[in-house]
Amino acid sequence: MSTAATKASHVPEQSARFAEILKRLVDKSVDGYYNPYREFDWPDALPEQMPWMSEDLMSTYGTQVAEELTIEESQRLSRWESINFYSLNVEGIRELLIEVIKRIHTAGFELPSDFFHHFIGEENEHMWFFAEFCLRYGNKIYSGPKLHSIPHDNAQVENFLVFSRILLFEEIVDFYNMRMAADDSLHETIRKVNRVHHEDESRHIAFGRELVSMLYAELARTMTDQQRQEIEQYLKRYIVFSLRSFYNPQVYRDARIDKPLEFRERLVSDPARRDLERKVVRKPMSFMVKSGIFADDVLPAI
Amino acid sequence: MHSERDQLKQWILARHPETPDIDPDLDILENRLIDSLAFVEFMLLVSRLSGEEIDMETLDIDDFRTLRRIEERYFRAGVA
Repeated sequence: MSTAATKASHVPEQSARFAEILKRLVDKSVDGYYNPYREFDWPDALPEQMPWMSEDLMSTYGTQVAEELTIEESQRLSRWESINFYSLNVEGIRELLIEVIKRIHTAGFELPSDFFHHFIGEENEHMWFFAEFCLRYGNKIYSGPKLHSIPHDNAQVENFLVFSRILLFEEIVDFYNMRMAADDSLHETIRKVNRVHHEDESRHIAFGRELVSMLYAELARTMTDQQRQEIEQYLKRYIVFSLRSFYNPQVYRDARIDKPLEFRERLVSDPARRDLERKVVRKPMSFMVKSGIFADDVLPAI
Repeated sequence: MHSERDQLKQWILARHPETPDIDPDLDILENRLIDSLAFVEFMLLVSRLSGEEIDMETLDIDDFRTLRRIEERYFRAGVA
């Protein structure tokens, strides 16, 4: 099914605006092009006595559980949570590349296809440096169960959901990237990986917000209120799912924490975590509410 | 005292108020009672209730298709 919003909008000014934004983002991408394979210094090892993750980004931050950890346990946890963060990026980028490659130069995606070439190229490079970090310093990439989401039977809805998921994923990751790029308690290699990713992602997020808004405007012309509520509920659950992926029991096992499942349960059920998670998703939630995609900012149980 | 199967069923039903009951042989994945977003939490619940460590990367998705299959694989009590 054609996605008219990305071919030629019903509102000509909207198409013209989108084309102008795409041109600006492509120009920025070309001007800022760098060779990721030469961009980073990869020391043989990173110091184990330093944090690898900003303290306030740890899944334990703000909880009683954090107080109970020894310094050694906190340092081990910091290392494995760091590997988990970059692994989530590897997993997320794999999914988004599959979806964008399925759509590039197909009917309905004529306008953004040129930008997609830059997007795919840059995401491939991000995946490389995240994987390099994981394998070099953790000797592993964490992975989840291979249960894939069943596509929505309406192609127009599915396109909207795919690009909304990509945008939400990028916005959540960007919160972590910005914090760690600015955190001088971290090793320069860690700060640089986060800084470089943030710089590219700011273009991808700008693009994603435009595309998601256009796809939604197109969808809103025909959908029922019940369909709108289902979409809202699904995307809110996706946000909760993404936040939960930072509480990985395998990470707690690797950090040699006793009873990792109970440890995780104590963390996810701690009310102090809700406020911190809210900070992580503040920007995308605000965008979704302002765009009319979400009626409110209440997050459901998963 | 609820059986593990009942606890799993209640966990799913609490998220699907439109569903009155779940047949032990119903494919809960195909019927989207457990979708890709809920799967990890559900799998961790099975792990907690069974006391068995489940490797997220190597688990067999088919072991989670029905309540009966989960019970046979992780609780070994069989279903009447």
